[in-house]
Amino acid sequence: MTLPSGLSDSVADSEPLARFLTSSSQFNVSGVKPSVFLPNPKNNQTSVFRHGAEPREALWRIAREYAVGDRPLHGAAVCLAGDVRAVLLEVNPKEPPPGHANIENWSVNKNDPELTKATQKELATKIAQRATLVQF
Amino acid sequence: MLKPISTVGAQVGLALLYSLARPGTAISNEAALVQTAANRAMDSVERSRALFGNKATAISQVWALAQECSVEDWDGNGSLPIKPVSVHRAIALIRALPADMPLPEFAPDPDGAISLDWIRSRSRLFSLSVGDSDRLAYAWLDGSDSGHGVARFDGEALPLRVLQGIASIMEFNDAAIGIV
Repeated sequence: MTLPSGLSDSVADSEPLARFLTSSSQFNVSGVKPSVFLPNPKNNQTSVFRHGAEPREALWRIAREYAVGDRPLHGAAVCLAGDVRAVLLEVNPKEPPPGHANIENWSVNKNDPELTKATQKELATKIAQRATLVQF
Repeated sequence: MLKPISTVGAQVGLALLYSLARPGTAISNEAALVQTAANRAMDSVERSRALFGNKATAISQVWALAQECSVEDWDGNGSLPIKPVSVHRAIALIRALPADMPLPEFAPDPDGAISLDWIRSRSRLFSLSVGDSDRLAYAWLDGSDSGHGVARFDGEALPLRVLQGIASIMEFNDAAIGIV
């Protein structure tokens, strides 16, 4: 089935996912830092867009129009959906906006929020290791 | 000829140390010993200054990050602003780090905490989150190996297993504090 954006309603493992960087502290020469992929505490999801590094201008437009607005924009962390699923998380489309998806299935231990955070950090670290830093 | 040391206004401090450490034409063993001891003391003071300078820089970076991420939704994804308690805990942690231990990099977490990242390479890092609890969440990556845990920080001394985790990733040895 096809979504309004024209993309498939299921995200293939080979699809690239972009997470936009609004602070220079979110990356260094080694690459992307783990905190970039941590979930939003309000909904326990990590918002991404189904787009790779190229075309660069299209990626930048997605960021400006649908993600960060006029906030500082340093670049994007691009990983594959398969890298997310390799750590037993899930990637599901969530439109609008077009091309938007969420990384979901982050584990939660309601009795121990710090252990929840530690578990999530480990997964975020593994995803970040496989991500490519794209700078604007 | 021995250089006289002024006793007028003499005070325990750097001026005296500098004068004692200054090369002179000391002719006695005692004078030579004093000069050697003063040189060692000056080295220690200057090294401490360098270390404190590095920690001061790190603390400034924490404050700058807190300022940068001081508003709700700073990332466009609904993130929480960095909490003041996260800043103060991060600063306390920096101060508690052993001398000579590499200082971390800092990054904002979406829940208002601050990540302290010791990054040796893409595949070797130790990341610690400092938030509004005295229990710190941490995770590490060492090649194909990884793990996570929680450790309590009382504001003064880091748990040994956290120090050992950082030291292992950064290949830092300090037998004096049990990290070998």
